[in-house]
Amino acid sequence: MRGDDKPNVTPMPRPAEKIIGAIAGLLRDGERVATGTLSPLPAAATLLAKMTHAPNLEPLIYGDPELRLAEGFHELFALAQQGKIDVFFLSGVQIDRTGNINLSVLGAYDRPTVRLPGGAGSSMLSALARRIILFTVNHNPRLFVPRVDFINATATDNVPWRRGGISHVVTPLGIMAFSAAEKALVLEAVYAGVSLEEVIHNTGFDLGVAGRDIPAINPLRDYDLELLRGPVRARMLEIYPRFAADLWGP
Amino acid sequence: MKVRRDLKIIPDPYTGNEYVVVPPVIPEVAIIHAMRGSRDGEVITLASRNDRLLAMAAKRTIAVVEELVVPEEVLAGRQEIFVAAAHIDAVVLAPGGAHPTGCPGRYETDAAHMREYLEAAKNEDDFRVYLDKYIFRPADHDEYLAAVSFRKTAAGSGRAGR
Repeated sequence: MRGDDKPNVTPMPRPAEKIIGAIAGLLRDGERVATGTLSPLPAAATLLAKMTHAPNLEPLIYGDPELRLAEGFHELFALAQQGKIDVFFLSGVQIDRTGNINLSVLGAYDRPTVRLPGGAGSSMLSALARRIILFTVNHNPRLFVPRVDFINATATDNVPWRRGGISHVVTPLGIMAFSAAEKALVLEAVYAGVSLEEVIHNTGFDLGVAGRDIPAINPLRDYDLELLRGPVRARMLEIYPRFAADLWGP
Repeated sequence: MKVRRDLKIIPDPYTGNEYVVVPPVIPEVAIIHAMRGSRDGEVITLASRNDRLLAMAAKRTIAVVEELVVPEEVLAGRQEIFVAAAHIDAVVLAPGGAHPTGCPGRYETDAAHMREYLEAAKNEDDFRVYLDKYIFRPADHDEYLAAVSFRKTAAGSGRAGR
């Protein structure tokens, strides 16, 4: 027992766990879901989805000792190029209203204020994976900007070989969806306890909420936190040991 | 094209689609880190990486190995691949040679040393001190490992640099 009087008290999810739950809820059974470098939140979400509503989901978690490859990223890229990756995850130091992501520079390209690691295959993956979910660990107006300083990948465009595009953005505050009609990101839901004002205040572009009811959701749905803190944690200690130890203990 | 003059647009002769193409990357020299290798030049690298692809792309490749073994022992484990000797021009034996980055299954990234390097890299004088201490003064690889207080940690399945 946890030492309280009410055995039915629900443990409080941590912010990272909300993001994991929100991402997991977007994954469908039977999908082949790949995660790249520096992606512990999508990796945990993929594991959580497979252990619950998506038992036939096929995970390709880069860095997972249970994933056997022979040619590293060359192989993952080949699968994406063949159309064999249903979901991939990307992030950005800047994301704008039309879903462009910036992973290269802040400021002018030839004289940046900050030089970042770069696109790392994102431009190809964003077009050739069947859909992309963006995830962020922050939600502020320096991240969600009216227009990125540099475009590494677009949400959608007219290239003939584009197979998919961004479907959603998962942040610590809520979920945006990419609207094909607007060709822009719009707010789809906020997490319970987060006000619409807080999201709007922290987003540097119009979230398209005018005239719409934005639901407040529990990002962890009916996922069992003990599942996340037990079996998912155990697997994550093998894949992202520092992340898992920091979030859930070693 | 605006920032890279070497990116060109060409029509695909089969579909008519226009593609942006990049010039091939052909390193003069590639340096890869390998788990083990033999004097014949056959080495074993990690399957999660693209070191073999790099060795195939470069004009010359130097493989730094953690262990020198007899040819019969150059065998790929569960998460490893074999690289043929034809792609390798030199084998350097340097256990701990990936330092300050890690070598999965052997040692973790030396985070403290990385932080020290990043601090030293902020200005010329501090960087000169760093170079003298770790690069110019150690006479050989063993003295380098001593200078950085290298200790093989029990890495288990730890991923380097993540």
